[in-house]
Formats: sequence, C-alpha cells, structure tokens
Amino acid sequence: MSLGALVLSLADNKQLLGLRYAEWATRAPSLEADIAAAAMGLDDLGHSRVLYGCLEPLGDDPREPERESNAARYLNLAYFDESFASWGHFVAANAVLDTAFSVMLQAMVEGSTEVLKTRLRKMLMEERYHFLHGRSWLRAGIDQAPLTAAWQEALEWFGPPDGEVAQLHSSGALALGPGELRARLEERLDSAAPELQLDWTAWDPGRRRSRPGQIDDRTFGMLRGLEENRYAAARV
Amino acid sequence: MQFKRVHDDVRAYEVFARKLRQEPLRQIGSVVAPDDDLAAAYARATYDEERWIELAVVPREAINTLWAPGEEASA
Repeated sequence: MSLGALVLSLADNKQLLGLRYAEWATRAPSLEADIAAAAMGLDDLGHSRVLYGCLEPLGDDPREPERESNAARYLNLAYFDESFASWGHFVAANAVLDTAFSVMLQAMVEGSTEVLKTRLRKMLMEERYHFLHGRSWLRAGIDQAPLTAAWQEALEWFGPPDGEVAQLHSSGALALGPGELRARLEERLDSAAPELQLDWTAWDPGRRRSRPGQIDDRTFGMLRGLEENRYAAARV
Repeated sequence: MQFKRVHDDVRAYEVFARKLRQEPLRQIGSVVAPDDDLAAAYARATYDEERWIELAVVPREAINTLWAPGEEASA
C-alpha cells in the first residue's frame, strides 16, 4: 500500500463516519447530543474533503473510475456499511474508530510528508472534541457487541505487524507503526482492547477490513450524487 | 414519545466567550451535560458558529450570585 492509498482509506472512512454521525442528528438521546452529532458529522465530512485534496499534491491518487458504479470499491470499514443500529453503535464509533483515525492523523502529521504535516494539523484540534464526546458517553456505558466490533475494525484498519503501515513507519512517512497506533489508542481511551481474533488471512489489504460487504444502496446513491455534483446546473 | 435523557445526573453549565482580546468574556448561552468533557464538547458543537478567540464553560453551581433581578443589593 502506498501513502496515497492510506490517505484515501482515511478519507473514505471519514466521509462515511460523517454521514453516519449526521443520520443521528435528530435521534440522539438529548438535544445537545443531537447538535454534537450534526457538528461532528460536518467536521468529518470536511476532513474527508481535505484528505481527498491531499492526493494530488502527494502525486499518488489511487481513485479508480469504478468507484462511481461499484460501492465495493470504496475503502470504508464494514462498520460503516450500514447506518448505526443503536446509540451504542454511535458511541463505539465515536470513541474507538474516530479516535483510531485521529491517532493515524497524528502519525501522518508527525511523519515526514510535508503536505500532510501542514494540511492535517487543524483536524487534530477539532477531533479533540469528538474524543471528549466519545469518551464521556463510553464511560456512561454501552453494550459490549458494538464496542468489540469497533475495536476489531480499528485494529484491522491499523493492519498487520509486518504490513504496509509498518513499512510506511520504517520509511518515516508515518511516525507510528501498527503496534504504536494500538498502544496510543488504548492509552487515549484508558482501556485495553478486548480479546480479539485477528485473522490476517481473511484481511483485504486494499480496504483494510476482513468482513465482506459494501455501503448500502441508499448511501451509495447519495455519495454518487455528491460526486457527480448533480445540482451544479442550479447554480448557473 | 416522551423525551428522556439517557444521563440522569446532569448539571447546567454556562457558556462564556469573546471575539477580541480587549473584550471581556460574556455569557452566550448554556448547555446541560453530565460532566465537564461533554459540556466542553456540547458547547463547542452548539456555539462554534462564530469566530470566538476564547470559549469557556462554567458549572452553573460554581457561580456565586451576590444579587439578582428583584433582589436588593446588600450594602
């Protein structure tokens, strides 16, 4: 995997996370949590735009035309294939996956690639509030199933100990390798990852996930609408 | 459907902000949250539309009111 492919994976996942957050903007347990869901959704959609914009200056844009018609070409984690089924799923994504993405952002900002060092720093400031939100709700308690699923997918997304993320760390492009990323995530959440079976033989290194599947049709249709800029004519 | 908060034990926080260094902080609103972390996250999400140079939350119970409308100021 190239650095561009990792940036694209982060961008796709932040885009989907932003959309899934936004779906809870009228369903969260309190008015304040509604507003926070909307705000965090906007943040992550904005972050995805910045990350997509880094691909050209990186000189490494792995996006293929097939993304327009095949949802399975998106690099999102399985956790985002469907809408969050419960508030517990929201909180697990907010606490574990969003923080996992922030830890990777930190590794990019502290790495050797100039465009990432300069463009991604502001995201970390905004992500601080996502972290506070997720950690506080996590402490209030949620079901174990979504929490375990989120940890599983976060660790799979970091990749195997000897995979491409480890190579990017060795080259200096990332300040942290898979083991350090996991340790940083555990440290930030003040809890060890649950006992998990990570089966790297079933892992797709392109999409950085083991579970097959793809974004639901409705969401993919919405994404295609965004990409085709179908409302552009109205602005003429 | 009856509105129900997940957190039973919440408290009110007043939100203060200013746009310029030479301005004093002023109260711009309030949030309800179970702890300081969520209060900060909620205040930022709710009141971040403007370009504040400072934004702060204070538990309402930490404010010692000397007098209030309808009350006489003590000498």
